Amino acid sequence: MFSSRRLLSLLVVAGVGVAACSSGESALESGVDDATTDAPVDATTPDGGTGGDTDTGADTTAMPTTTVAPLSELAPCPTEALADAAGPIDIVFWHAMASDLEPPMVALTDEYNASQDKVRVQLQNQTGYESLIDKYINAGQNSRPTLVQFPEYQLRSIADSGTTVPAGACIESSDYDTSAFVPRTLTAYQYEGIQRGMPFNVSNPVLFYIRKVFEAAGLDPDDPPVSLEELRAASEQIVSSGAAPVALVLDSGPDSGGGWFLEQWFGRAGEPFADNGNGRIAPATEVFFDNELGVELTTFLQSMIDDGLAVTVGDNPGGLDAFLKLADPTTPGAMTMATSAALGSVIAALGGGLAPGLGPEDVGIGPMPGPGDTPQVQVGGASLWIVADKSPEETAAAWDYISFLLRPESQSQWAAATGYVPIRTDALDLDPVKTTYATDPRFAVPFEQLLSGVNDDTANAPVIGPQREVRAATSRAMAAIFAGADPQTALTEAADASNLLIASYNDRN
Amino acid sequence: MLAPSAVVLGVFVLYPLGRAVWLGQQRCDNFGNNCRSQGFGQYVDIFRSTEFQNALVVTAKFALITVPLGLILGVGLAVLADKYLRGIAAFRAVFSSTVATSVAVASLMWLFLLQPSVGALANVSWFNSLFPSVKDPGWLQDPGTALTAVALSSVWAGLGFTFILVTAGLQGIPRDFYEAAAVDGAGGIRRFWSITVPMLGPTLLFVLIVLTTRAFQTYGEVDLLTDGGPQPQDSTTTITYFVYGQNSPIRNDAGLQAGAAVLLFLVLLVLSAIQLRGIGRRVHYGD
Amino acid sequence: MATDLPAGVQGAVDTALATVDELPESTDRGRGRGRDFDAPIGWRRAGRYLLLALVSFVVLFPIYTTVIAAFKPSDAFFDHPLLPGPFTFDVIVDAWTAGNLGRYLLNSLVVATIVTVFQVVSAVLAAYAFAFLRFPGRNLFFVLFIATLLVPLEATLVVNFDTVDGLGWSNSYLGLAAPFLATAFGVFLMRQVFMTLPRDLRDAAAIDGVGHFGFLWYVAVPLVRPTLGALALFGFLGAWNQYLWPNLIINETEMNTVQSGLRVLSRSNLDQPNLVMAGTLVAAVPVVIVLLVFQRQLVRGLTAGAVKG
Repeated sequence: MFSSRRLLSLLVVAGVGVAACSSGESALESGVDDATTDAPVDATTPDGGTGGDTDTGADTTAMPTTTVAPLSELAPCPTEALADAAGPIDIVFWHAMASDLEPPMVALTDEYNASQDKVRVQLQNQTGYESLIDKYINAGQNSRPTLVQFPEYQLRSIADSGTTVPAGACIESSDYDTSAFVPRTLTAYQYEGIQRGMPFNVSNPVLFYIRKVFEAAGLDPDDPPVSLEELRAASEQIVSSGAAPVALVLDSGPDSGGGWFLEQWFGRAGEPFADNGNGRIAPATEVFFDNELGVELTTFLQSMIDDGLAVTVGDNPGGLDAFLKLADPTTPGAMTMATSAALGSVIAALGGGLAPGLGPEDVGIGPMPGPGDTPQVQVGGASLWIVADKSPEETAAAWDYISFLLRPESQSQWAAATGYVPIRTDALDLDPVKTTYATDPRFAVPFEQLLSGVNDDTANAPVIGPQREVRAATSRAMAAIFAGADPQTALTEAADASNLLIASYNDRN
Repeated sequence: MLAPSAVVLGVFVLYPLGRAVWLGQQRCDNFGNNCRSQGFGQYVDIFRSTEFQNALVVTAKFALITVPLGLILGVGLAVLADKYLRGIAAFRAVFSSTVATSVAVASLMWLFLLQPSVGALANVSWFNSLFPSVKDPGWLQDPGTALTAVALSSVWAGLGFTFILVTAGLQGIPRDFYEAAAVDGAGGIRRFWSITVPMLGPTLLFVLIVLTTRAFQTYGEVDLLTDGGPQPQDSTTTITYFVYGQNSPIRNDAGLQAGAAVLLFLVLLVLSAIQLRGIGRRVHYGD
Repeated sequence: MATDLPAGVQGAVDTALATVDELPESTDRGRGRGRDFDAPIGWRRAGRYLLLALVSFVVLFPIYTTVIAAFKPSDAFFDHPLLPGPFTFDVIVDAWTAGNLGRYLLNSLVVATIVTVFQVVSAVLAAYAFAFLRFPGRNLFFVLFIATLLVPLEATLVVNFDTVDGLGWSNSYLGLAAPFLATAFGVFLMRQVFMTLPRDLRDAAAIDGVGHFGFLWYVAVPLVRPTLGALALFGFLGAWNQYLWPNLIINETEMNTVQSGLRVLSRSNLDQPNLVMAGTLVAAVPVVIVLLVFQRQLVRGLTAGAVKG
């Protein structure tokens, strides 16, 4: 033919030649001198004012006290400006509540718009957190909306950008009462001692399991495993009794297993994932997950796979693979850990005949298993941020809308209509969520596990600049470990990659 | 007369390329501000980095599967449907139908076919026994097969396009050539290699360049099917996915992204030059 | 075409048009000349049909599964993925409303049309210049044009966003269409075709005092209509299938295109897995219609252009 052989060999030679000139370094090290990218880099907070030592040992008692920019130096929140404002103020809210999460969002907003005539909120659904973040970053000052919904892992990145008004300023200026809030939901969005965003839609990982399988295995379907030992024991019983060919379904996706098994479980075990108070008191400079605890936790999972008790569905890019494994016609699993935000649709799907012979009541929900006997989770979901450099009226209007969304009535409505949990305890006393939780206690599980456990910096999620990318690194490690790699090696590799990511971020931001 | 095209192409292609070249030697913060120049040595650094090399190898492998396969299948289908038979138009319509599918549509169709637990292909028992990995762990989940699976979906989506192009090319070959050759005793296969293939030269070259360019710019399929491929091997992270993917380590640095994108352009430039020189010269124009 | 061309030119045009009409048709080669000399007969014919059917089955398989999934209720989706289930329009209706497909289809249609029109006009003008005009730097410009074919969209995305945003075109049809208003591929294709037009035609027109635009409009364009059709079709398809760019510049939901809508549907929930299949079907329908209508033009157009080199 057209010497396609020649072309082929040309390409192969080029490929080999090119591969041979790999430098073995990460792309993140491009351009800069080696000196500045040696990990770990000493933390130099952007405004140079840290009073604490940056001792990177695992000792969590020597917390540096923060003297970073006090609230008064950050963008102000003139909440009183609304009172004097003429005519309706139009504000735009970018959110990412897609498909069946959208109607409740619209309903709440319509209610707000109808209930007063000072503020009109216009919703723009950006359908996904990632595209929302991209658009926000690319939009210049003029194109940004007034209010944005950012996912939990953007805390540091958005705080550092200086493009938002810290919610703490609004709380102060309007004397907002947060006493009924679930404390963990507030601390989740505090960085360097300042409340940055307000929690809005909270979800966390729960255990989904098939009750029928539990019954067939002789386990109590109302008492799902909570500690790791119980998890293992239950799995052994399920498999050995033949109730299901495999007990636990794992995944290594960055938005699920790949991040949780380290972040969530470290918090639960009381050990810091990153330094500087899990990155909350001062910018994190390194991660610790390649220590003994990390190896222990991942070895536990690896041995479950090796012993035939668990199986992995891989990276789970659409988020559905783990659930679908529970419905596999030939080799179904019995349990999996997934986000509580999927509660409603999973129950509906299984009720709709997804898995033959199963109905909606056959799905059991339990708290996320992990080290220790007390359930404890970190706050997932997203939060509300007011964009800075808008007129005082707009800022005040945005805060007014936020206060509406965070009323107990609104939270009760929101929680009942979606899978998210109310962020304040007084919402529980109100219908519709009161009835929902009473009639189907499964929906109350994610809320209950939010209340239990310790609420300090270590127990709450780590705050890292390039958090998504670090999760990508840990999920890579999880995938390797699930496939049989040596846990220590895989974790150390991921830790090195994470430290490089963090150093690169700290260097540039 | 040139003005409209020139203006648009200049503003939206050449100018951004120029800016990207400049941006590619800078490092920026998360919001693309505060960019600091690092010198053009950064391009070499990016090119030689492990992630880029991996992406390059993945993209090259991807092209090595999709381009020849696409070409062979396109030509095969076109030749198959090139006979005067009743109802041939219906078959031609079927073969061109995939041109109606966009990247998103084709990838989603294949996503549901290949889902290991409940997908259509995974639960067909005879297919399963032939290819056990389609169910366990699944073609898109197995690092050894993921790239091939994504490539298959891409080849399928491009079938219609290549079919149409090659069919059009075949129309231009005068029948008399074939008749004369048949009279001289040349059989079907001989006629194919001595007449069809050389006469299809320009068309095949064009298809080759288009397929290669498309292969090297693969993004949508990877985004929808595998998010960069089974970890930890990043088996389906193509260069474009490395630049823009959700889990890419460089997604927070606009400078590195621009650099990698410009490097992609250079790679394409070199490839096209090779194709044009190496093959173009042997292509037969006119009669 | 009603014109008042000088007689000499008119005669040349008529001859040329007659030649074009004799270009081989895609489906009736051999018709009128008796059967093709090597058309298969008997069992070879049956064998060929069998092979065609087999290949068709393989090609259509993913489309088939999508179609049956789109018309099945959600709970029947996983039962027998390969067999049709109880027929229902509900899923399609759901996809239409949940994905706001009606509005998005309209957006895609408008944008694709704008792009197609602009591409055809600008490509014809530029190709004419390259084929018939002589000016300094012509070759250099042509090389520059062709080079733009190689620049990946990803390299230009962010800067284009700044440009379009700066012009205030975000969230508008013009913004969606802007980077695609010109096409180097189209210029290349049209130039090929223009170069196959006989020189005498142009010379005759020049002698008779017909200017560039007159020649272009009354002579050149009618002669290359099939190729124009092909160009328009590819332009339409390309604009319709744009994925990355609309995602970036649209942040007002009403202005999204249908590909963005599909992306949303693809992240849909477990209890409605076939929602996205219904969505893909709806998104593909307009394209299929356009294709069926313009199929003949497509093949004719490419015949005239691509083969002659």
